[in-house]
Amino acid sequence: MTFQAIYTLTDLRVLLRETAPSHDFDANQKAQAVRLLENLERQVGSLKQEMLK
Amino acid sequence: MRCGQGIEARQVDELFINIDPIQAAGRLTGDAMKAVIAYGDGYSVCDNCRKPNRLDYIAKPPIAEFHKDVAKWLNMDAVRTVPGARRGFQAVAQTYVKKGDPVLLTSLSHYTEFMAVEGAGGIAREIPVGDDKRVTPDAAAAKIEEVKREFGRAPVLAFIDHVDYQYGNIHDVAAIAKVAHQYDIPVVYNGAYTVGVMPVDGKALGVDFVVGSGHKSMAAPAPSGILAATAERENEVFRTTAIEGDVTKRRFGIKEPEMMGCTLMGVTLVGMMASFPHVKERTLHFDRELANHHVVMDALLSIEGTTCMSEYPRKHTMTRINTIESFDTVAETHKKRGYYLQSALEERGITGIIPGATKIWKFNTYGTTKKQAEHLAGAFVEIARENGLTVRE
Repeated sequence: MTFQAIYTLTDLRVLLRETAPSHDFDANQKAQAVRLLENLERQVGSLKQEMLK
Repeated sequence: MRCGQGIEARQVDELFINIDPIQAAGRLTGDAMKAVIAYGDGYSVCDNCRKPNRLDYIAKPPIAEFHKDVAKWLNMDAVRTVPGARRGFQAVAQTYVKKGDPVLLTSLSHYTEFMAVEGAGGIAREIPVGDDKRVTPDAAAAKIEEVKREFGRAPVLAFIDHVDYQYGNIHDVAAIAKVAHQYDIPVVYNGAYTVGVMPVDGKALGVDFVVGSGHKSMAAPAPSGILAATAERENEVFRTTAIEGDVTKRRFGIKEPEMMGCTLMGVTLVGMMASFPHVKERTLHFDRELANHHVVMDALLSIEGTTCMSEYPRKHTMTRINTIESFDTVAETHKKRGYYLQSALEERGITGIIPGATKIWKFNTYGTTKKQAEHLAGAFVEIARENGLTVRE
């Protein structure tokens, strides 16, 4: 789970690189960002459950 | 944000369009970044190293397969990974060059080729370039004859850069290699700006060795690179050790002296491996990279007084540009002097040009999207107009 969250952040990092310097997302990039951020929230939630139980 | 004491997290490529001539094609892919996170520990690729205990035999992660795939991709017979192209040059030079031997380079050769020759005790002899800054087979033949007259023998090795680092010009390696082979001179193809950027076929080029740079053109961490050889040459440069300790009688299996045993033992190698599928694919679309480069070149050349010092139309995405009669005229009176151009570019989210450069400078648009190329083009024109330079419509 640790890697999943870090890798999701890495995908977000790539998106930032592809859209530098404005980070002005087109519709596809925006959808991708939404999906990645939702995944990240889910992954962090799972981490909380695993590590703090 | 810091990632260690005194070490700021680097966000250059997240915040800017980076057109640094040597950094553009070495930017990591997302998969390489992920591999770097997982394999950062020292000997991380050695968990499953088994007899005969050599890097290029490791099956998990698939390092052995990677070596075979790279050889096939370059149409060569054997490949080793090396800590940078320079270590590839060094391995070949140490194999073929003895003290006092003449070695053929060019007037546009990278300094590390000179270092490799010097380290082996060789003497550098350069093929001169013409006014068009290109190395020709005729000039190569003339230089070899000149060396024969001077030394009483032909050079023992030739280093030819396919795309040179000074102008980003493409040189006719195949024709030059043909000339060199007429004198039995082995040829090292320097692909620091091509391997990983555009298709490279070692057999079609007729070269004995192909050297590539991982961190310059294969989206890999530094220092990394590859050295590929033909079947005829692999047993020479990749010969195995024969040394034996006199007290312990120890021998060292199939380790290779020119590789100093194993080479890339962790993050550099897996980074290069993780990027490799993407790198293979991107070389098939170099035309897109050139199209983006032309967008930027058209804009730069529309600024009156700007000239292209590299061959034109461009065949590579790294270009040497002359702005002595354009941007440099502004520097004479600007309060920021020569730093105004870099400053104006950074205000527009662009970095990678040498600070203070307004006369002659290089840039590389490799890896930019079309939108980023258009942003670059617009920024140059806007800066020119803001500073009273004439821009042709």
